[in-house]
Amino acid sequence: MSEMWVNMGPQHPMTHGLWNLRVRIEGEVIKDVEPEMGYLHRGIEKISEDRHYNEIITLMDRTCYVAGLAWEQLFIVAAEQALHITPPERAEYIRVLSAEFQRIASHIMWYAAFVQDIGLMTPFLYGMRDRDLILDLFQSYTGGRLTYEYMRVGGVRNDLPLGLTDRCRKVCDWLMDRFVEYDRLCLSSTPFHERCDGLGVLEAPEAIAYGVTGPMLRSAGSRRDLRKDRPYSVYDKLQFDVATATTADVTGRYLVRMEEMRQAVRIIRQCLDWLDDHPGPVMAAQLPRWLGAPYAPVGNEAYLLKRNYPTGVGFSMVEEPHGEAGAYIVNDGGEHPYRVKFRSPVLINIWASKRYLPGYRVADIPPIMGSVDVCVGECDR
Amino acid sequence: MSGQTPLPAKVPPASAGPSAAIADMPLEVIGQPGVPFVEIETLRAREFIPAAKEALTSLLKEQANGKLIRPVFNWAGRNSLFPLHWGLACCAIEFAAAFGARWDAERFGVVPRSSPRQCDLLIVNGTVTWKVAHKLIALYEQMPEPKWAIAMGNCATGGGPFRTAYSVVPGVDKLIPVDVYIAGCPPRPENLLDGILRLEQLIKERGA
Amino acid sequence: MKTNELAARLTSKFGEGILGVDEFPGLLGRVRFDAAIASKLFHTFRDDLGFAHLTMVGAIDWIDHREVFYTLWSDADRVYVMLSANLPSDAPTIASAVPVWPSANAHEREAWDLVGIRFEGHPDLRRIFMPEGYAYHPLLRSFKIHEPEDLEVKVRSE
Ligand code: SF4
Repeated sequence: MSEMWVNMGPQHPMTHGLWNLRVRIEGEVIKDVEPEMGYLHRGIEKISEDRHYNEIITLMDRTCYVAGLAWEQLFIVAAEQALHITPPERAEYIRVLSAEFQRIASHIMWYAAFVQDIGLMTPFLYGMRDRDLILDLFQSYTGGRLTYEYMRVGGVRNDLPLGLTDRCRKVCDWLMDRFVEYDRLCLSSTPFHERCDGLGVLEAPEAIAYGVTGPMLRSAGSRRDLRKDRPYSVYDKLQFDVATATTADVTGRYLVRMEEMRQAVRIIRQCLDWLDDHPGPVMAAQLPRWLGAPYAPVGNEAYLLKRNYPTGVGFSMVEEPHGEAGAYIVNDGGEHPYRVKFRSPVLINIWASKRYLPGYRVADIPPIMGSVDVCVGECDR
Repeated sequence: MSGQTPLPAKVPPASAGPSAAIADMPLEVIGQPGVPFVEIETLRAREFIPAAKEALTSLLKEQANGKLIRPVFNWAGRNSLFPLHWGLACCAIEFAAAFGARWDAERFGVVPRSSPRQCDLLIVNGTVTWKVAHKLIALYEQMPEPKWAIAMGNCATGGGPFRTAYSVVPGVDKLIPVDVYIAGCPPRPENLLDGILRLEQLIKERGA
Repeated sequence: MKTNELAARLTSKFGEGILGVDEFPGLLGRVRFDAAIASKLFHTFRDDLGFAHLTMVGAIDWIDHREVFYTLWSDADRVYVMLSANLPSDAPTIASAVPVWPSANAHEREAWDLVGIRFEGHPDLRRIFMPEGYAYHPLLRSFKIHEPEDLEVKVRSE
């Protein structure tokens, strides 16, 4: 039978965003794939060279729009290193709390979209319902549902409002019950297993060679998690387990993400207890004046204040819901960063599809690519 | 929608039968703007179907040029806008949230479809880059007439935070005609629903 | 492994090819190397030093020259290391890392697209983000970002 190339995207229900998967098929069997990105390239790295450090945080929310707070943390860790600033501990705990809630929200969003892909509609409605509860919490202390602009170089913008920790606990209890429900909906469903088991297998050595990270790598049995291996922020003071699976297929990735959500709840509970017992400032006291809290002076004023500030470099890697995100910031002592470079885990995970897609059928593409958890905003930047 | 609005005085009491309202009207009046089928909205569903059937049959019988059916199409079309299922950027997440459990946009007859051939509404929910511009135009061209477009969010309206970027179209109205602009970065789902209701109002006033 | 240990091992193997090993906050160190030994150095890092993960490849335009940097992760030592090479602005060419780490594929296409670094031996070095036929490398310092109005004027006048 003759072969042909098929375009899946940029407008296709499988893609969940703006990208194009070119597939070479022979009959129903996939022979080769070629992802085509860049439909959402917004030049974030270039714009960042024209912005103040605190203004770049605005862009970070838009870079990965399902995990905005995780990307804010990524940038902040690197920027604080480049600018030689240490945040207070309470701010670090609030950041971890936010990042872990964001992980749950992102995984629930993934769950809603992915399970809809394989034909079950109810989980979408359940998922969106529970995600909105987390967004409500974010809204009550950051003010935004999706784009928060909450973290600042040197701390966070404002402290948690009164009574928020108790509301967080209630949401945590609710979510723990819902996770059981999610599992019941999916794992007891025969169509789910028939569409997911044994698909998109990518074993650990290959995954490492192809740079795959995050739940995709952990579903192959690897215990790699930057929160354990190279603890940033206060993760070294918190207890949690690394979620792994052994099957390296779509079901494995599902199980890893579900377990990660439970572990995130565990981390959140520890953070809440700590935050209740340790009131204090959430912004570094010795902040250089040009960075002023909570709003940075702009334009000439900032430039005049900043002269003679030391140069530096910042490098951070963060375990983001999709995988390992990285940032490299060069501070040349000027008003803006000289260069900002981000590593997007999703771009690399998609690129490895050359390895894990060929051999399967066309109808398997939606579950397999769904299990990657694509967020095009951070791929294309 | 129909249940809550008070009945306007023009509609005869239900006992007279819904069909009477339309059947008694002279056909010349039905085509005039403002008068004709606006009242249909206040009918109950079970009364509506026979009424619509009767009205359509009589209209089709009498009217060769189809001009008078337009109000019916207008009414039906604006209450069942089918947007294209296409997520461009961040705003698409709020677009999805609007179809979730809390906001449930489907109660307004808004059902996203994956094929442009089945759609009459293009919601541009995110940043449009020059690379995707011709694909966006192609999708818009593929949609059957009559069609509308909503620019959702600051990016689609005017470039938003990426206005100065080298790869971003500063406003989707450079590419396709836009009917309703929704401000916000991202707009809340309520904003989106409001935009859709405004579009309905616009269609009602302006015609398809 | 310590930074000076790494420096000793590398200089004993490559001699002149290693231009220096610097301290780098949060990393094992930054290895500055001559672009001529790139391919051999990559093999050494993967096979002998156990850096199996390539996490990032990027490039910086320093106006008078361009810098390519690679960050690697070792599972055994749990450290990152950064390799960096300076390339002349008029011929920014370096050997591709794809034969050693397949994950470099997308990174290198990105560096070519945005900063204009040529990677020799890359299987498919095309633009990744900007459309094919785009004339600029936008992350060069000489490429100025502009208000969209200017762009429109430019497009119209062409
Ligand atoms: S308007 Fe804001 S939220 Fe919407 S796509 Fe643009 S940047 Fe994203």
